[in-house]
Amino acid sequence: MHIAEGFLPAPHAIGWTVAAAPFVVHGARAVVREVREHPESTLLLGAAGAFTFVLSAIKLPSVTGSSSHPTGTGAGAVLFRPPVMALLGTVVLLFQALLLAHGGLTTLGANAFAFAVVGPWAGYGAYRLARALGAGLLPGVFVALALADLATYVTTSLQLALAFPDAASGFAGAAVKFLGVFALTQVPLAVAEGLLGVLLFRVLTVSARPDLERLGLLAPAPAEERG
Amino acid sequence: MSAGLAVDDAAWASAWRTRAPLDKLALCGGLVVCALVLPAWPGSVLVALTAVVLALGPARVPARTFGRAVRWPLAFVATSALTAVVSVDGGGLGWAPGAAARAGDLAGHSVAGGAAVLLLATTTPMSDLLPALRRLRVPAAVVEVASVTYRLLFVLLGSLRTIREAQADRMGYSSVRRSYRSSGALAAAVLTRSFDRARRMQEGLAGRGMETGLRVLPEALPSSPAFLAASAAGLAALLTVGWVA
Repeated sequence: MHIAEGFLPAPHAIGWTVAAAPFVVHGARAVVREVREHPESTLLLGAAGAFTFVLSAIKLPSVTGSSSHPTGTGAGAVLFRPPVMALLGTVVLLFQALLLAHGGLTTLGANAFAFAVVGPWAGYGAYRLARALGAGLLPGVFVALALADLATYVTTSLQLALAFPDAASGFAGAAVKFLGVFALTQVPLAVAEGLLGVLLFRVLTVSARPDLERLGLLAPAPAEERG
Repeated sequence: MSAGLAVDDAAWASAWRTRAPLDKLALCGGLVVCALVLPAWPGSVLVALTAVVLALGPARVPARTFGRAVRWPLAFVATSALTAVVSVDGGGLGWAPGAAARAGDLAGHSVAGGAAVLLLATTTPMSDLLPALRRLRVPAAVVEVASVTYRLLFVLLGSLRTIREAQADRMGYSSVRRSYRSSGALAAAVLTRSFDRARRMQEGLAGRGMETGLRVLPEALPSSPAFLAASAAGLAALLTVGWVA
């Protein structure tokens, strides 16, 4: 769930836009460089953006019986790296704002910071850490997707707490309230997104192995035989 | 239903579809800024009314599309505004001072801003807005990637629906366990399809000599001085009434 249009006061909307801008510009530069060197990447990057948008349209079967949607940026961060996701995530947010009325234009900066910057970096960091500690692809993917999902909602909660501090207990009290409403309820869904990621990558290792090898997620020569 | 998105369908069918995208961007941007800076009463109410009247009146956006599109943002606004005005004090919960006024203020700004953005969204297809971004000096490569994303979106949403339907028909969502397996397979199928589409499109374009980028003829949508003047006058009136009242 993204912060709706007009919900943040103007100074916060501007502040978060300024905070997200360097990451998005960095991502845009990476994309411009990639497209200049390999013009054919335009289509692949466009496909990655469309996949992120569509992934957020898949209903996640949740343990409690209700359904929700994955954020989709964790999978993108593992597949395409966080700088590219900063740009693709922002493009996806713009599309969600203008095609689905989720999020908004003045809150695009704040949402981009949570969804396209913090989420992908947290997920990718967790993925690299897990792989460095000797975990396989699938456990790495699980922590990446779960953490990217959770980190996005924790950031959104803190952004709201900063904008609307509690009358009595200030920022800390507000953080507890917003984390309780938006992040705590997200924990089962973050686990569900992690599980979805494991299932997604398990299928991909079988049916799209060349793609994963090209993206550097699997060693080029398959050492183990699957059977 | 088609594989389209309701807001996008409305944008293509809107009576304002042929207006210049930058004209509409100026009007809606102005309304968004008014929603943000004007006091909730009467500013937000006036902005929201203006956006809704323009959308349902001259732009001829179906009221049902407009109404359905605001459901999700309203759920967020209600939850967040309520959370913002509940006070945590020494372990107890209570209403913060002036809770009702503050919640109304928050909801007002949000609904007005949301209506203004929706006016743009329901009158301007993304494929008109993206070339306009190019004129706002966003790099060509970025606009191109976004254009491909937009065009592939509907293909993938179509695939998503078809595959999900096929899975459901085969009892793919009959238990939680199966739902997970099906969702994973669904995500994987959509990803491999999107890559496959991109690769095939690339090969096709390379065969036609694509070197620098995807060039399409932009549709000429001339700017209307009368529309711009009316927008400026209307926004000025909104700002005056909003501040003075």
